Amino acid sequence: MFRSQTGQTIEHYAVYLLIGLVQYTHFANSTTRALTVLYSMKHLTGNAIFPKEVLVLSATMADTIELALSMLICVAVAAVSGIALSWVILLLPLVCLLQFILVSSVSLLLSCLYIFVRDIGHIWGAFLRVLIFITPIFYDRSFLGEGLGRWILLLNPLAYLINFSRTLIIDGKPVDFVSAMLLLLVTSVFLLSTFKLFKIYEPVFSEYL
Amino acid sequence: MSRYSASICDQSWVIRVREVARFFPRQDSHNTVFRALTRRISNGHENGNGFYALKGINLEIAKGEKVAIVGDNGAGKTTLLKLVGGLYRPTVGQIETRGEMVLMRGAEIGMVDELSAGENLFLYSSIYGVDREKVKRNFDEIFEWAELTSFSRARLATLSSGMKARLAFSALRHFDADIFLLDEAFSAVDRHFEKKYQEVFEQQRNNDKTFLIATHDLEFAKMFCTKTLWLEKGRQKAFDATEEVLNQYIVAGT
Repeated sequence: MFRSQTGQTIEHYAVYLLIGLVQYTHFANSTTRALTVLYSMKHLTGNAIFPKEVLVLSATMADTIELALSMLICVAVAAVSGIALSWVILLLPLVCLLQFILVSSVSLLLSCLYIFVRDIGHIWGAFLRVLIFITPIFYDRSFLGEGLGRWILLLNPLAYLINFSRTLIIDGKPVDFVSAMLLLLVTSVFLLSTFKLFKIYEPVFSEYL
Repeated sequence: MSRYSASICDQSWVIRVREVARFFPRQDSHNTVFRALTRRISNGHENGNGFYALKGINLEIAKGEKVAIVGDNGAGKTTLLKLVGGLYRPTVGQIETRGEMVLMRGAEIGMVDELSAGENLFLYSSIYGVDREKVKRNFDEIFEWAELTSFSRARLATLSSGMKARLAFSALRHFDADIFLLDEAFSAVDRHFEKKYQEVFEQQRNNDKTFLIATHDLEFAKMFCTKTLWLEKGRQKAFDATEEVLNQYIVAGT
């Protein structure tokens, strides 16, 4: 059954898998790196007066450039694999922007938490291992079925982002406007909330370093 | 004092510290998620196991004043600078400041060995709030003053500690802050640069920038600072005109 849901039934499976892995790897690496950024630069964090979110956001920005380059490679691989590319791939930077907003919000929250509870790194590592299985990276969305699986998909913003990229590159169709706007709204609200939380706790970072 | 003159006097301060105390806990280990879930995240305050780094500190520093903080190691000089800079919160009391602040603890904080000296100048200045265009305009002058022109493209790791301190100090001359909090940041320099440093401080003496400097260099305090705060084991021993406080401090030390 599992095999029937993976390579056999998915068109252009290599590109399908590559897109999923590129976006998941970016999310996992970027958030893991940002998690410890305030602590690993504690000489700066604890001894200089400047907005500390700069350290987190500069790390996620640098990783987003890497994501953009990886997405270009995905497009090139898609072209070589015989996929007829459509003009809609010009919308890919918007997917990168959405992923940047998502990664930045999670990173602000995690880097702040790491100052207070150091084992959050291990917990996040375990969560990322679960995330790779509950996100349709190497199987089709339909594999998760209805019920709980549907809810997991609904609440997983990374699944939306990966689906957007696949729609643009493999299907050559524009993404669903309502879904994209909804995701933009949700990730933006999440970013503003985590930023606010970060600023509330910023004055006490030095005390816990 | 009339109400009017009190209000004028009130407006003149840029740093006001009232009955401030700072308690530091002795932490046994880092907090974990499990501990956070089972009890309140702790920095040790509630178990009472710790010490007061500062207690009963009262200061009012006017705009443009140059104040030295003297005292033995562990007297609370750095803690006070960090409290004023907002990096620590007071356990008791109140701290108010007016204007942009720069805290400098060690010249190399904010520099990255893997980058060139020139790239570091941009990075370092941006951390302390100087905009890129201003650094670009003064780039050559900063390296000339530090006598490091031929090192602007060299990796920072190839520069000695003294050279890095010279570059940091040269950059500091262009910082725009209203309040400078300096913590023995530029003590390791040779005699030639000590003179250059003194010239810079002499130029700063009569401007409206406020300086709060933790130092062991009493000659420097006499030369630059109008007032001095003497701390001993976290207590405020004296805060008055530099000459008077330093005399007490020297007598107490003999």
